[in-house]
Amino acid sequence: MTSDIQLRHSFAEERVKEAHGRLEELGQSSVAVGFWTVADEVATAKSMGLVDLSPLPRFGFKGVGTAKWLKSRGVEIPEAPNQAAVQEAGGLGLRLAAEEMFLLGGLGTEAEDPADLEEAWQKSRAKQRGFPLPRQETHAWFLVTGEHADAMLAKLCGVDLRPAKFSNLSIAQTSLARMSAVVCRQDLAGHLAYHLLFDSASACYLWDCLIDAMAEFQGGPVGLNALRSLIST
Amino acid sequence: MSSGANTVESSPKSGSGVTAASASSQEAVNRLTAPAGLLVDHGKPVTFSFEGKQYRGLAGDTVASALAANDVWLLSRSFKYHRPRGVLTMAGQDANTLVQLPGEPNVLADRLPISEGLKVMGQNYSGSLKRDRDRHLDNLGRFMPVGFYYRSFNSPRFDRFWEPLIRKKAGLGKVDLEAEHDYFDKAYLFYDLVVVGGGPAGIKAAVQAANAGAEVLLVEEQPELGGALSYARFDADALTGLHRREELIAEAEATSGLDIMTDAVCNGWYADNYLPVIKGNRLYKVRAKQLILAQGSIEQPAQFRNNDLPGVMLGSAAQRLMRLYGVRPGRRAVVLAANDHAYGVALDLDDCGVEVAAIVELRDGPGDGPMAAWAQKLGFKVITGHCIQEAVARRDGLHLGSVRVSELTGQGSFNHGSEGIDCDLLVMSVGYTPTYQLALQAGGKLSYDDETAHFTIGNLPPIVSLAGSLNSTYDLAAVEAEGTLAGWQAAKDLGLKAGRQPKRPGDRGADGINHPWPIFKHRLGKDFVDFDEDLQVKDIQNAVAEGYNELELVKRFSTVGMGPSQGRHSALATARLVAKGTGRSVAETGVTTARPPFTAETLGVLGGRVFEPERFTPMHFAHKGLGAQMMTAGLWWRPAYYGEKSDRDRTILKEVRNVRTNVGLIDVSTLGGLEIRGPDAAEFVNRLYTFAYLKQPVGRSRYLLMTNEQGVVIDDGVACRFAEDHYYLTATTGGVDRVYRQMLWWNAQWRLDVDVANVTAGYAGVNIAGPKSRAVLERLESDVDFSAEAFPYMGLRAGTIAGIPARFLRVGFVGELGFEVHVPASYGQALWSILLEAGAREGILPFGVEAQRVLRLEKGHIIIGQDTDAMTTPDEVDMAWAVSKKKPFFVGQRSIQLRRRHPSKRRLVGFTMPKDQPVPLESNILLADDGEMVGFVTSAALSEACDSIIGLAYAPAETEVGGKLTIKRSNGALLEATAAKAHFYDPDNKRQEM
Repeated sequence: MTSDIQLRHSFAEERVKEAHGRLEELGQSSVAVGFWTVADEVATAKSMGLVDLSPLPRFGFKGVGTAKWLKSRGVEIPEAPNQAAVQEAGGLGLRLAAEEMFLLGGLGTEAEDPADLEEAWQKSRAKQRGFPLPRQETHAWFLVTGEHADAMLAKLCGVDLRPAKFSNLSIAQTSLARMSAVVCRQDLAGHLAYHLLFDSASACYLWDCLIDAMAEFQGGPVGLNALRSLIST
Repeated sequence: MSSGANTVESSPKSGSGVTAASASSQEAVNRLTAPAGLLVDHGKPVTFSFEGKQYRGLAGDTVASALAANDVWLLSRSFKYHRPRGVLTMAGQDANTLVQLPGEPNVLADRLPISEGLKVMGQNYSGSLKRDRDRHLDNLGRFMPVGFYYRSFNSPRFDRFWEPLIRKKAGLGKVDLEAEHDYFDKAYLFYDLVVVGGGPAGIKAAVQAANAGAEVLLVEEQPELGGALSYARFDADALTGLHRREELIAEAEATSGLDIMTDAVCNGWYADNYLPVIKGNRLYKVRAKQLILAQGSIEQPAQFRNNDLPGVMLGSAAQRLMRLYGVRPGRRAVVLAANDHAYGVALDLDDCGVEVAAIVELRDGPGDGPMAAWAQKLGFKVITGHCIQEAVARRDGLHLGSVRVSELTGQGSFNHGSEGIDCDLLVMSVGYTPTYQLALQAGGKLSYDDETAHFTIGNLPPIVSLAGSLNSTYDLAAVEAEGTLAGWQAAKDLGLKAGRQPKRPGDRGADGINHPWPIFKHRLGKDFVDFDEDLQVKDIQNAVAEGYNELELVKRFSTVGMGPSQGRHSALATARLVAKGTGRSVAETGVTTARPPFTAETLGVLGGRVFEPERFTPMHFAHKGLGAQMMTAGLWWRPAYYGEKSDRDRTILKEVRNVRTNVGLIDVSTLGGLEIRGPDAAEFVNRLYTFAYLKQPVGRSRYLLMTNEQGVVIDDGVACRFAEDHYYLTATTGGVDRVYRQMLWWNAQWRLDVDVANVTAGYAGVNIAGPKSRAVLERLESDVDFSAEAFPYMGLRAGTIAGIPARFLRVGFVGELGFEVHVPASYGQALWSILLEAGAREGILPFGVEAQRVLRLEKGHIIIGQDTDAMTTPDEVDMAWAVSKKKPFFVGQRSIQLRRRHPSKRRLVGFTMPKDQPVPLESNILLADDGEMVGFVTSAALSEACDSIIGLAYAPAETEVGGKLTIKRSNGALLEATAAKAHFYDPDNKRQEM
């Protein structure tokens, strides 16, 4: 009776549809793979692009023992809070506090799902190993890309995110358009990019804010295909 | 008038920017030929209208300059006396040029660029600007002395009669309430150094610091850099200013690390150099480690009779007209002089073909400045030791026609015999005040130098410094040197390699700039100190005579400095008058507090781009697809009911009925969700909530009631124990953030081994409720046994349904068999669709918040925040059962115990009313027999199940079931209600436990 129902949805799916985004299945969910042509979107991504990565995997842990336990599982832990580390499998590990990690899956097609760690956590006998957090559900995930990204974000955020002041793989836990958000810079193939991780219930709200702020830079939404193309160049 | 002064050749200069000889026949009557007019494009005519008449200006013109080019000098009517007013400063510093646009009042005509088709009107007149019917108010001035408002209009009658009349006669433009909203936004900027003011001092400071490696922002209010270099005359040959301007601008533009923002105003100073900079429709919120203020100075008018007539303007205003806009400011001029700058103005006028009838010099001699020397050499008529005692209007009263010049006999006094000089232009160059507003906001202290008659500023914080004429430095070389030094010091303070200390400035040239008393009170008055508020010399003196000795009191009594120009042209004269009137020094008198904003700013700038976060549940768009009327709950949007607004009440009743008799589905995703994990999880919950949780079995849920330290009920929810060391707590939609903060705050002290995570947005939730809810769930594939035996009331399970991982809670908020199903948020939309589809056979219907309110009221369940207030104890709302008597501690316990010693005089009771009565509103009051208020209604609704109106109300504690309650409606009508047990529906709870 329900076999044809898509079980999961991106928190910004309605906005993606309104922007005529093409959705393709990704696990139980679907992701915006494109809006125009890949070439056009790559050009947009280099200048000012917005990608909804909410359907992609992410997970988190926090609590005493988190860093040690994740390290024992092969997770690269940044030296200090508010720094991120690229993982061997291509994902990104964001250290939000001494004992709090936000793990993003990679952007490639063969990316690992950091939520797989939960099973290992369940089986682990370590007394102190933190607690898993359903970041896939509590947080939406946008990526803003391109040379104007920092100027655009300056319209929403009071932290100095300019590349010269906010180095690659830096994290700001701050307020974005009057809501709490984690901002993490990760340049992709030499192009400026910021991951935005924020309240999943506010995904449509922030999408609207970003599209509005991007207008003066002729920015727009970009699909996953174009992003992957950008990364591979 | 000097012989040959009308010819360009008579002057030694060339290329000074005012070299054009006379108005071109191709242009407006006062338009000078190129290259005069630094800001205008002589090749681009622009047509606009003023007062309904079309005029031609040039691209780059302001409204005021374009009108002046067309010999239109009357721009507005004054605030109180409706006197004609025109150009005074040409710098956007005065209220004389305020005009009305179709969608915006009070726009500065000397700042607003003209554009094709622009429609501009004057404001504050009756009839026409030229023949204002209210101009007779000018003759009634003696009936409106200073403070007359306070004396005359302090009775209730003021509101009814005088206020509307005064509002009509006084005031400024008209707000167009239908005007379309423009787009405004904000952005943050970050710099090592911000320099405010793009004149020679500012440019040198910015370049010096940027060259040392600082990131610098240079903010300039005018469209181009240059400051006084763009319009003032610095020497006899008039070459220095423009040449130096070009050199400095080129230097600035070639400097890396220096951002230049023109047409932008830094509108205030806030702690730690937080600077609001407005450019167009954007407000930049700038953070600067260092700040250099180089905003220059504000030229001051002299006070004499009719000093406000159109045609009377500051010397710098005339120079701005000539150099910036290529406009001849008049045909025959008199110059009121007290410094060498005045002679520069006279030379400029002469260069432009304006006949300089005389230079009226306040000093005994013309001084030894180079421009005075050159003017004398050219043969200008200089009348020393004289003042202007009166400007006389021409016959129509709208413009200057002549001046009366009198010999000075002492400070501010003159012989009443006078010489009349015909002229249509009177320019005043008698002194300056520093543009001190930002400096004083930054903590600077104002002093007064009696020798130079200057305000000076000191005591600034180390992150703020001054340069240029703001710092009483006027000599150009010294200004540049001071700017360079300030830039060097800022770079050094930023920890940069600033190099060797630059040379200190030499003579600052402040002597002989300010006349100590250019105030010439006339026995007939109209010698204005404050043009905005129509305040004359006698008004300030009378305020002092009334006993208002302090400047702040004089300001409040007289309103001096309270107009749009915020005392820019009145503060110095007022300080001098008050000082003299109180026998103190000007330094002791000071100026009034200079608060932000520096210039007028629109509400659009302050308000836009507003960020108003809103939260959608995963089913939000499904609700809208079902025709839901949405309502807000905190930041969330929730369905109120599903149907047309016109059918609201019937729709809500239908939704209620369907839950009672069938099955309904409500989105409860907005409920707070908190994960409490760790060995001390039970202890933690036990301390935070009033009930007992240590022995709560795994797999069972239990009611949660939270009180604060004062024993006041602040939240409720359900505690779900999934493991010995794992609780999942729900909280109210509006309360969860507070609860989460409380948890973190308390555990920072308790240091229990527990982790708290707010997962509210991480879970979508529904409540499927009604006698057929179990049947719907059982139709779906699930690993959970939903039977009454396997899954009893208040039980909880974790499992899957239709392939979706879920947490199931058997709760009874609406009083029917029901299950809350909580799933990861990304599954919420699918869960909603699946349940609606699965329940189609049972006739499942979604129900909204309004139906839920009725359903829970029928059960007597309270809503925290609606049925409780900031004083409510558990006892008052009949929740003593949820307060453990055995626990050693919980937050609020001690207060509850203390308050029980003094039992509350009120309690929440149920009430019923016949269903044909009007339904009371929340907050309708309860009256005692003697008419005293004894309580109030918190909830009320028409209940079909109870066949009556039911409600909850705070009533006297002694109220008994069956007792009478009198409810007073908003319209004053009284309703009779009967006190009842609050459990109106299914008091034995059989339906929810089935």
